[in-house]
Amino acid sequence: MKFEIPIGPQHPALKEPISLRMTVEGEVIRDADIRLGYNHRGLEKLAEEKTWIQNIYLTERICGICSHSHATCYVQGVEKLMDIVPPKRGLYLRFLVAELERVHSHLLWLGVAGHEAGFDTFFMYTWRDREIVMDILEIISGNRVHYAINTLGGVRRDLDEGQRQHILGQLDTLRQRTEYYFKIGANEPTFVARIAGVGKLSKEMAIDLCAVGPTARASDVPRDVRRDDPYGIYDETPFEVCTADTCDVLGRVVVRVKELFQCYNLIEFMLKNLPSGEVKVKAPRRAKPGEVVSRYEAPRGENMHYIVSSGADKPERLKVRAPTLANYPATVEMLKNGFIADIPLIFAAIDPCICCAERTVETVDLRTGEESTLRFSQLRALAKERFEKNPRKGTGLWPF
Amino acid sequence: MTDQDIMDKAKSALGERLLEITNPAPHRTFLTVGIQDLVAAMEKLKNELGFRYLVTISGVDKGDVFEILYHFGYEGGNLNVRTRVPKSPGTHLPSICSVIPGAVLYERELQDMFGIVVDNIPDPRRLVLPDDWPEGNFPLRKDWKFERPPEVIPGGKK
Repeated sequence: MKFEIPIGPQHPALKEPISLRMTVEGEVIRDADIRLGYNHRGLEKLAEEKTWIQNIYLTERICGICSHSHATCYVQGVEKLMDIVPPKRGLYLRFLVAELERVHSHLLWLGVAGHEAGFDTFFMYTWRDREIVMDILEIISGNRVHYAINTLGGVRRDLDEGQRQHILGQLDTLRQRTEYYFKIGANEPTFVARIAGVGKLSKEMAIDLCAVGPTARASDVPRDVRRDDPYGIYDETPFEVCTADTCDVLGRVVVRVKELFQCYNLIEFMLKNLPSGEVKVKAPRRAKPGEVVSRYEAPRGENMHYIVSSGADKPERLKVRAPTLANYPATVEMLKNGFIADIPLIFAAIDPCICCAERTVETVDLRTGEESTLRFSQLRALAKERFEKNPRKGTGLWPF
Repeated sequence: MTDQDIMDKAKSALGERLLEITNPAPHRTFLTVGIQDLVAAMEKLKNELGFRYLVTISGVDKGDVFEILYHFGYEGGNLNVRTRVPKSPGTHLPSICSVIPGAVLYERELQDMFGIVVDNIPDPRRLVLPDDWPEGNFPLRKDWKFERPPEVIPGGKK
């Protein structure tokens, strides 16, 4: 006897609105159906009404986690249409932010995988270390989520020597901690028992269903745009494409942790070989008529923007393909013959986009009603003070 | 495979079917096939040249025709297969899902956004537009403009 159970569009196991309909026989999923469109914003139509510059900020808002990926993919396509080449230092800074974004996205995903497997300590550890990366991104760009560092012809901010040394210092901490996570992720018996053999996707199916990113690489398909079709500076930076052959969620964890080490190597290389000079060149207001295909390896897989210009100051057409869409047919395949209890784990394993909350800087003192803008250092001092005065058992006082 | 290899192999594999082939930038090849040869050309490209990874399908409204581009990825660059379909009520396009199963989502998106009817598509339901979206509205056509429906206050305005 078969039943159909709906999961979503709003469901505690999902972090974004999507509707999954599972046909189940007892505990076993026989078929799965995905319905999209709950988050469709008509962005491709909107892009045709905005200028080349305005569209950088629009594409940055496609995703809240890989915001830099979409903006970079768009910007490098438009630069080709405008026939301008950004200076070397600008490119290095652009891809430095790109690799830092990959680190924060993979650490975030590791935490989510731990959380979905019921291993919340892992989740808290990885998200604590993700803060290091978020702070570095804030130091470089001024923002934690939408860095807005890209512009046509280069980047908007330069890096000074002090910042460079600071980031290099923080990399050591990240390396040490990631080694520890690799040890846990691949060896801790309870965690491995939960994720091994779950969400199988064979190599053949991964190729046929056009899977991308860590999902494809965990099924032993070495597909990485940075190596296959090098853009920006990736033809001169050393890195390896990480794969796993277990074809399950364990493989996806291993691939992402291995990629973290590659990211650290890339960041170190870029910082140590940072060229001197300008960070941007002036871009014209209009692009030449033509078309361009821009590809970019985002943390979740390949991003592709197809941009058509008619010679005006606006694009004629901007087609965006985000990696999550490419992984949906593969997800349906992974869910088949699995258990209902594995749905959140399998679905989280392709890393669907989750929105990040912004941090507020405008604070209101509840007791006095006073509004003030706090610096990050003050906020940190306040948090420390609060923690030190934290009531211990037997000494606690009512704070108001 | 270098760009020249791709050009030569595509020419010999597709023969008469190939209408145009260009290489405007390094690692980017654009080729054009007729709409009647599309599925046959895809089979040739997959079986003889090994193009199995479809990145996406883009549609562009060019006035009286729709330009459909099938973007393929391979180790060394990107190949784009272009075909043109005339714009008329019920524009038809053959489905390539029999050759590349991963194309189904992109074909459903084309149906929603451009109103192109994809023949033999395994799953013809809507993908991105809501179920109550009015018939005959295709947002990515150039002549489509969004008109906000008049606000109706229950009980009427006083």
